[in-house]
Amino acid sequence: MNPKAVRALVAKDFTLFFRNRFFALVTSLALVVYVALYFVMPGSVDETLEIGLYAPGWSPIAGDIQQQGLEVHVAESEDDLKDGITAHDYVAGIVLPADMAEKLASGQKPRIDLYFASDTPEEAKEAVSSLIRELIYAQTGQPLAVDFSTEVLPGPDMAGKQIPPRDRMRPLFAVLLIVFETYGLATLITEEIEHRTIQALLVTPVSVKDLFAAKGITGITLAFGQGALFMALVGGLNEQPVIVILALLLAALLVTGVGFLIASLAKDMMSVLAWGVLALVILVIPGMGIMFPGVITGWAKVIPSYYVVDTVDRVANYGAGWPDIWQNLLILLAFDVAFLLIGMAALRRRFQ
Amino acid sequence: MNVKRVAILLRRELLQGPKSFIFLWSVVLPIVMSLVLSLVFGTLFSDKPRLGIADDGDSELVSLAQGSSSITTKEYGTANDLEEAVRIGAVDFGVVLPEDFDSLVTQGQHVEITAYVWGESLAKHRVIAQVTLLDLVRELSGREAPVDITMNPLGDEASIPWSDRLLPLLVLMAVFVGGMFLPATSLVTEKQKRTLEALTVTPTTLREVFLAKGILGFIISLTMGLIILALNQAFGAQPALLVLMLALGAVMAAELGLILGSFVKDMSSLFAVWKFGGILLFGPAIIYLFPEIPQWIGQIFPTYYLVEPVVRISQQGGGWSDIAAHVFVLIGLDVVLVGVVALALRRMRRAIA
Repeated sequence: MNPKAVRALVAKDFTLFFRNRFFALVTSLALVVYVALYFVMPGSVDETLEIGLYAPGWSPIAGDIQQQGLEVHVAESEDDLKDGITAHDYVAGIVLPADMAEKLASGQKPRIDLYFASDTPEEAKEAVSSLIRELIYAQTGQPLAVDFSTEVLPGPDMAGKQIPPRDRMRPLFAVLLIVFETYGLATLITEEIEHRTIQALLVTPVSVKDLFAAKGITGITLAFGQGALFMALVGGLNEQPVIVILALLLAALLVTGVGFLIASLAKDMMSVLAWGVLALVILVIPGMGIMFPGVITGWAKVIPSYYVVDTVDRVANYGAGWPDIWQNLLILLAFDVAFLLIGMAALRRRFQ
Repeated sequence: MNVKRVAILLRRELLQGPKSFIFLWSVVLPIVMSLVLSLVFGTLFSDKPRLGIADDGDSELVSLAQGSSSITTKEYGTANDLEEAVRIGAVDFGVVLPEDFDSLVTQGQHVEITAYVWGESLAKHRVIAQVTLLDLVRELSGREAPVDITMNPLGDEASIPWSDRLLPLLVLMAVFVGGMFLPATSLVTEKQKRTLEALTVTPTTLREVFLAKGILGFIISLTMGLIILALNQAFGAQPALLVLMLALGAVMAAELGLILGSFVKDMSSLFAVWKFGGILLFGPAIIYLFPEIPQWIGQIFPTYYLVEPVVRISQQGGGWSDIAAHVFVLIGLDVVLVGVVALALRRMRRAIA
C-alpha cells in the first residue's frame, strides 16, 4: 500500500466532489432538511385520553375515574362542556343527569348524554361509551368478577415517558443519510470505469489496493460525516456518544462494502441506480421496524443495517450501554468485513 | 418548431423508455408504494389500541373483540406466541383466556386472566383496551347495561382516517417520481453520452428535444396519478376537476424534470438532488400525515397547491369554488417554471454551442 498515492486519490475525489458546487450544496442542504424535519415533528407523545364531565349532584365521580392514561376535566355547565369539546380541549364530554343516582337505585335506566367533536374517531367514541358503562357498573356496586394479573413486557414500563416520534425516526434518518452514500461511492467508481480513468490509474504506481483504500476512505468519510453530524445536531450523541459514533462508523463501512458490490455489478449509471434502489430499500427496512414496533419480526436481523438502527435506537432512546449492545457491534463488524471482502473481490474481477 | 419531429422524438422516448430502469421504477414504485402504504401503514398509523388474545378454549369473546370498533384484535395460537407479540410491540395489550372462560363468566364466577402489557404502549391505549375488554365480558355475561348513552356530535368537521391521510403522499409520489425523473434522467444520460450534440446537428432543435421529453414526463405523470386515484377509489364527485389538477401537477413535474436535467451535470448530482429535493416535494404530504405539525407550514411548498385541491375534491366533496385559488396559484407556478425551463434551454444551447 502506498499511503501517498491513497492520500492523493482521496484528495482528488474530494476536490471533484467540492468542485461540483451544486452537488456539494444539495448534499449539505439535504442534511439541513433532515434536521429541520426532525425539529418540526412532534417532540412529545400525548398518551392521555382527555374527557370532560358535567355531573351536577355527583361530584365525587371525577375522582373515581381518574387514572393513568385518562384525564377528566370537570365542566361548570353543559355549555362549558360543549365549548371545551369544540375547542378540542377534550375528546368527549359526558353529562350525567342530576337524578342519576335515584334512577339507578330505583332500577331505572338513566340517559347519559355523550358529546364529542364530529371529527372524533369512531374508536374514541366507543371507548368512552365503554368507560361510562364500566363506571356506572362500578358506581352501582356491580364489579365484574374478572381480575387481570398484569405483566409489563419487555420492561421497563415506559408509560409517562414515551419516546417521541421524532426520536424514533432518528436512527432511520441517520441510516438514510448514510445509505444514500452507497450511490455516491458506486457512482464514483462506475464513473471511473465508464471514463476508463481506472485503467489509466492502474498503469501508474497506484495499485488496486491503493484504489480500494482511497475509495473506501472517501465513501466512509462522506457517509459517516453526514450521519454523525445529523446525530450531533438532533441530540443523538447526548447518550453514550462513543457507541453511537462507532455504530455510525461501522454503518459507513457497511455502505462502502455495498457500494463496492454495486459498482462491480453495475454496467452504467442507470444500473447503479437500479441496484442502489434495491440496496436502499433493503437497508432501510430495519429503520421502519423501529418506527413501527411489531411490524418486523426476527427476520429483519438478517439485514445488516438492523444492527445499526437497533444500536442507535437503544443507546440514544433507551440509554443502553456497552453490555447491552456489544454483540450488535460485533455482528455489524462481521457484516462489514464480509461485504468489504466480497465487494473488493468482485470489483477486482471487474478491473481485471 | 416541427410537430412531426417532436412526435418522432416522443415515439423514440416511448419505445426506448420501457427498456430503462427509470421507466420501470416510475411506473412500478408508485403502485407498489400505494399498495404497501394502504395495506400496511393504513393500519400501522391507526390510533386504535391493539389487543391480542390467546384463547385456550373457544370463547365468544374473541369474535366480540374482533367486532369492536374501539380496538384492533388479533388472535394468537398459544400464550407464548401472544407473549412474544407483546414483547415486540405487535400488540399493546394481550390476554390469555382460560379454557372455560365463557361458562365461568356466565355463571358469575371469579376469573383470573393473565394479561401482558407492552412496556411502550400508550397509557390511553391500555385504558381503552382494558375498559373495552371489560365491556365485552359484560356483554358476554348477558348483563344489560345500566344506562342508555346518547351520542351527540358537535361541529361539522369529519374525522380523517389514516388511509385518507396517506393519499397526498401517494398522489405526489405518482405524479412526481416518473414525471420528474424521466425527463431529468433522459436529459442527463443524453448529456453524458453526448447524443444531444449529435441530435442538434440534424434539423432537430433543442427545444423540440425538450418538448418531447417534457411530454413524455407529462404523460407518465398524469397516467400514474390517475392510476393511483383509481386504485385508492379517490375520484370523488368531481373527476374532471381532479384530472385538471393532476394535469397541472404533471406539467409541474415535467417542468421540474427538464430544469433538473438541464442544470444537473451527472447522475451523482441527480441522486443528491433527489435526497434533498424529495423531502421538499413530499413536504406537504408529510405535514398532512401529522396534524400536530402546524398545517400552514405546508403552504410554503409548491406541491401543496396540488395536494390540497386533490384532498378537498376527493375526500371533502369540494368543488371549483373550494379549489379555485389553489388552481390559479398552481397555474402561476407552472407559468413561472415555463420561464425557468426557457432559461435552462438557452443555457444548454449555449453549452452545446
